[in-house]
Amino acid sequence: MIDLLYAELKRTWIQFIRYPTEVISGIVIIMAVFYGLFASAQYMAGPGFAFGDRLDAVVIGYALWTLIISVNNDIAINLQIEAETGTLEQVFLSPFGAPRVFLARAFASLALRLVILMVVLLLLMGISGSRLAFPPTLLLPLASLLLAGYGLAFLMGAAALVFKRVQQILGIFQFLLLFLLAAPLEEATGPMQYLRFLLPMLPSTGLLRDLMARGLGLDWVTYALALLNGLVYFALGMLVFRWAEATAKQRGSLSGY
Amino acid sequence: MQIARRPTETWTEHPSPGSIVLDTRDLSKVYGRGKQRFEAVKQVSLTLHQGEVLAFLGPNGAGKTTTIKMMAGLVRPTQGRVTVAGEDPHRQPRALRHIGAVLEGNRNLYWRLTPAENLDYFGVLRQVPRQLAHRRGLELLARFGLEEKRNTPVQKLSRGQQQKVAIAVALIHNPRLLLLDEPTLGLDVEAGEMVKALVRQIAQEGRAILLTTHQLDVAEELADRVAIIRRGRIIAEQSTEALLREFSGSTYHLEVDGELSPPQIHTVTQLGATVRGTQITYAGTPENLYALLGALSPVPLVAVQRDRADLTQVFLKLVKDQPESSP
Repeated sequence: MIDLLYAELKRTWIQFIRYPTEVISGIVIIMAVFYGLFASAQYMAGPGFAFGDRLDAVVIGYALWTLIISVNNDIAINLQIEAETGTLEQVFLSPFGAPRVFLARAFASLALRLVILMVVLLLLMGISGSRLAFPPTLLLPLASLLLAGYGLAFLMGAAALVFKRVQQILGIFQFLLLFLLAAPLEEATGPMQYLRFLLPMLPSTGLLRDLMARGLGLDWVTYALALLNGLVYFALGMLVFRWAEATAKQRGSLSGY
Repeated sequence: MQIARRPTETWTEHPSPGSIVLDTRDLSKVYGRGKQRFEAVKQVSLTLHQGEVLAFLGPNGAGKTTTIKMMAGLVRPTQGRVTVAGEDPHRQPRALRHIGAVLEGNRNLYWRLTPAENLDYFGVLRQVPRQLAHRRGLELLARFGLEEKRNTPVQKLSRGQQQKVAIAVALIHNPRLLLLDEPTLGLDVEAGEMVKALVRQIAQEGRAILLTTHQLDVAEELADRVAIIRRGRIIAEQSTEALLREFSGSTYHLEVDGELSPPQIHTVTQLGATVRGTQITYAGTPENLYALLGALSPVPLVAVQRDRADLTQVFLKLVKDQPESSP
């Protein structure tokens, strides 16, 4: 399994480095969209308005959104590309079994994406003047966030295996993700303060905002719930992915696109 | 073509010669339900032994690719069972260690990676230890004459070179069964010959090879046995030689160098042959053939040839003559 992880890291890195313009242009687009949003919000609020803590929360929400979009689309888009280019069936011929291979792929691409996220965050802080804190405890809610994120990614991958064309769903899903990541429901009152624990990723993003923007410590009870949320969505994603693999093999549609 | 030493085989045990590598029993595949129901493959039973090449032939849509994918664990059979080296690829993922496949219409490779990088990656994906995969990859590249191209991205290689890399990748884990779906499709003559030579070599190493092809001359040259599938059902399966013999006539064509004398023509005609100038056609018993040859003496013989069907004729006859649905 270590060899597999290493091989996936190497493959991901080579493909990234061989055509770096794609990634660089991706980062530039992310930055341009943020700058556009930031500048128009400032224009509407007027020159005297200060974002304060909220700016930091917005920066985190936006950066996490870009990370989770790429994590979320990762498996589905790659499944579709590989079906089109004709390597998907070779991947399914692995004695490791598809779920383990795709899990290793998820880890490999995550490593790369975290590096890109750091670059994006540093650039965003430069543009907006936001000063974010990076306490080591933030790794914990980040892990539970990624667990839920990859759970959704495997769900999307399952949809790609069974329904093939999923670009439309992925496009709409990006806006749902924006709500899940950027809405500060940890400040909500009423039933939503409890319901947020049932929605994917929401409890983890709240904790990340606490740690990085509000300068609060980690609330361990909330974190336990966030971790449970991550584990449940991850397990659900893996289960549905296995079902989708069996269904695609049953239909003989593994290589279709 | 470059032929180097055989790859290292220290990490996998080899079975006794002639043992069964692939065994399918009553393999069937049904797609859809109700009015949409379509039976793509019907009760296909095949066995393939170590070192044997089986050509799997059939018209388009006959069920070849579905059958191959069922063997590789990529399409789940509706009924029946597949075992590869005694293991079922649908129930035991470890059975996939015995299978290498180059599938038709697929690139089978990562085009952004070089041949060496593809071999490294797919080696690990097939559970070969990383360093061994690297060593075997280099050996395969040397053996397939691709050493100079080892660091060129696959998308910049010629179609023939890409196909060779795809075959090398399919062999990286030293599988006992190699499935080749249309291995010479789209290749020029030289590349096609190269791939044929490779297939022969690979079979000589003791691997079982199942190949599908539309190029029947390729099948005739390479295959020890032929199975013909039509509308999902196997309609003929026997050794290539026996199949060709069965469909070959018993007519002999002789050619002599010079004119026959009138008494010779008389004798030859009496034996049941017909003479046209220097060409003689004989359709009698094999015993009388020697009497015929004696009667021709001392006129020099240029050629004696028995009518021999080729696989194309056999295939067309079988595919056209079979009734629409078998009982």
